[in-house]
Amino acid sequence: MLLRALGLILALIVPASAATRLNVAIGADVNVVEVHKTLLGPGFRAIEPDVELNVVGTGTGEPASRAIYTKIKAQADAGRKPWDIDVALVSMAVASQMVKEGLLLRYVPQMKNAALVKGAEVKEAFGVTVDGYVVPMFHNQIAIAYHPSKVVAPPKSFDELAAWVKANPGRFGYNGIKGGVSGVGFTIGWVYWKTGLYKELTQGPFDKAKEPAIREAITALRDFNKQAIITNGNAGTLDALNRGEIWMGVVWIDQLVAWKNEGRMDPAVTPALPAPGLPIYPLYLVVPREAAQKETAARYVDYIATPEVQAKAIVERFGWYPGVDPEKVLALITPKSRDLLFRGVSAQDLARYSRQMPLKEYHDLISLAYEEIVR
Amino acid sequence: MLAAVFLWPLGASVVASFSREGQWTLANYDTVRRLYAGDVLYTVGVAAAGTAMTFAVAIPVCGWLRMRAWGPIELLLKVPLFVPFVVVGHALRVFWSPYLPGFSSSWAGIAMALAWKHLGLAALLLLGAFRGTDESYLEAARQFGAGSLRVTKDVLVPMAGPALAVTAILIFSSMLASFSIPLMMGRGGGPQMLMIDVYYRFGQHGDFATASALGVVAYLLASGAALVYIRRLTR
Repeated sequence: MLLRALGLILALIVPASAATRLNVAIGADVNVVEVHKTLLGPGFRAIEPDVELNVVGTGTGEPASRAIYTKIKAQADAGRKPWDIDVALVSMAVASQMVKEGLLLRYVPQMKNAALVKGAEVKEAFGVTVDGYVVPMFHNQIAIAYHPSKVVAPPKSFDELAAWVKANPGRFGYNGIKGGVSGVGFTIGWVYWKTGLYKELTQGPFDKAKEPAIREAITALRDFNKQAIITNGNAGTLDALNRGEIWMGVVWIDQLVAWKNEGRMDPAVTPALPAPGLPIYPLYLVVPREAAQKETAARYVDYIATPEVQAKAIVERFGWYPGVDPEKVLALITPKSRDLLFRGVSAQDLARYSRQMPLKEYHDLISLAYEEIVR
Repeated sequence: MLAAVFLWPLGASVVASFSREGQWTLANYDTVRRLYAGDVLYTVGVAAAGTAMTFAVAIPVCGWLRMRAWGPIELLLKVPLFVPFVVVGHALRVFWSPYLPGFSSSWAGIAMALAWKHLGLAALLLLGAFRGTDESYLEAARQFGAGSLRVTKDVLVPMAGPALAVTAILIFSSMLASFSIPLMMGRGGGPQMLMIDVYYRFGQHGDFATASALGVVAYLLASGAALVYIRRLTR
């Protein structure tokens, strides 16, 4: 973490020659960093030639977003102004924490495309009101991927999934809660299914009396895990699927698509989204409260939120779900891209079964119960 | 200098481990007890097993090299010194997986990978100690018909006892603090090495307080070994 923060500091102090330098910190994989460097940055410069983008990646997973948070928090605590990150791409958990701690600018209302920023996840995240502070760069859905040659009828519900796993021990894998957010998401989806408390756990208010139901659900998950393989991460699940070690596993759809595009994954592996659903977990574009280039930063995010840019860069190029109003964006993509995007998981599936993350208090209760009961 | 680079961060970690939201508390240690007591034992067990494996290979090979110095073997033995931890974890995971599925993520797999990585350090320290043993002792043993193994067991090891102890302490402490190899080889479930738990508390939960308490526990485990080391140095 310290090395990441140091790397971030070094990268951000490199001088730039353009009139306005926009420091963009990306808490995501190298492919996301590359989109900003090679596609979104040059596209934005075509409109605003005076702007030079300095794009820095901080790694993958939650720790990557935490590195950005740590840096901004340190500057805030030290009373230093302006802060040297203008735009950041951070996880839902970190963004909600930053909003709560007053570290972010409420910039969305000043965007031309503000009306396209819609959905429950841009209003609240982990019980924190993030409305106006965040724009999802793209949406990322957790799903169950399977080998059609081994799984004739993919599970349409968690009931069917549990029955399949019981009948096929050692052929289903996910990464627990310590190997990445897809495993956390599966655990949360499991709790939603077992408790039937989706609305209560996501909308609150927090009620400690729900804990026994959560612990009961996690106890059932412990028994389920006896027939499952716990992999060592998101990539570990994909790898096990690809090698045929497991026939079904919990994955991020974007990572599955990326691996297929890179020729690293059996193209037959298909995602499915069983009822009552699994969490969607966007990465948010945010502007720190004391960013040196607040106006330019907001315009850069506005550019990324343009339906044409979303259609070309986010959906067609990478196969990600659009970050802003899908009705506006999906109207602009080719039928081929549409087919690729919704193979296995249809737009209707997404509309019905994309689940929100719970309130932070419930999230912590679920994690704690998992650590105590499942291990 | 020492205060700035070591004592200050150490002190900050200890303070953080006893506080939560600005209040002094033992709650973080209670969390460690409730959630990670098993992992503490697991970590000590893996480190002890890894150290034993390292010595099981290093002692006979270094004993043999002491008597028949052979450059290529000595070089091979020291190669792990120059291989990064992450590379060791990845390479052994990829190497073992097709033949022994599940082994690399087991405690034995992690201990063996740690032993592989520490062989170079053990060889460096043990060869130095063995070569410090006077040749006349070895000659005498040989004249009584002792082979390489016997000379190693009955002459070299007892005479290099203090150096062996120091080597064991250094390797054990390093294994206690290992992160990259368990991260590369371990699974998302079951018992975890302590540094993985530290990373999880901080990386996933942003829980610096419990992460610090876990860190202090690791300090205590390592300092038990370090005390023996310091006593050896100052004797």
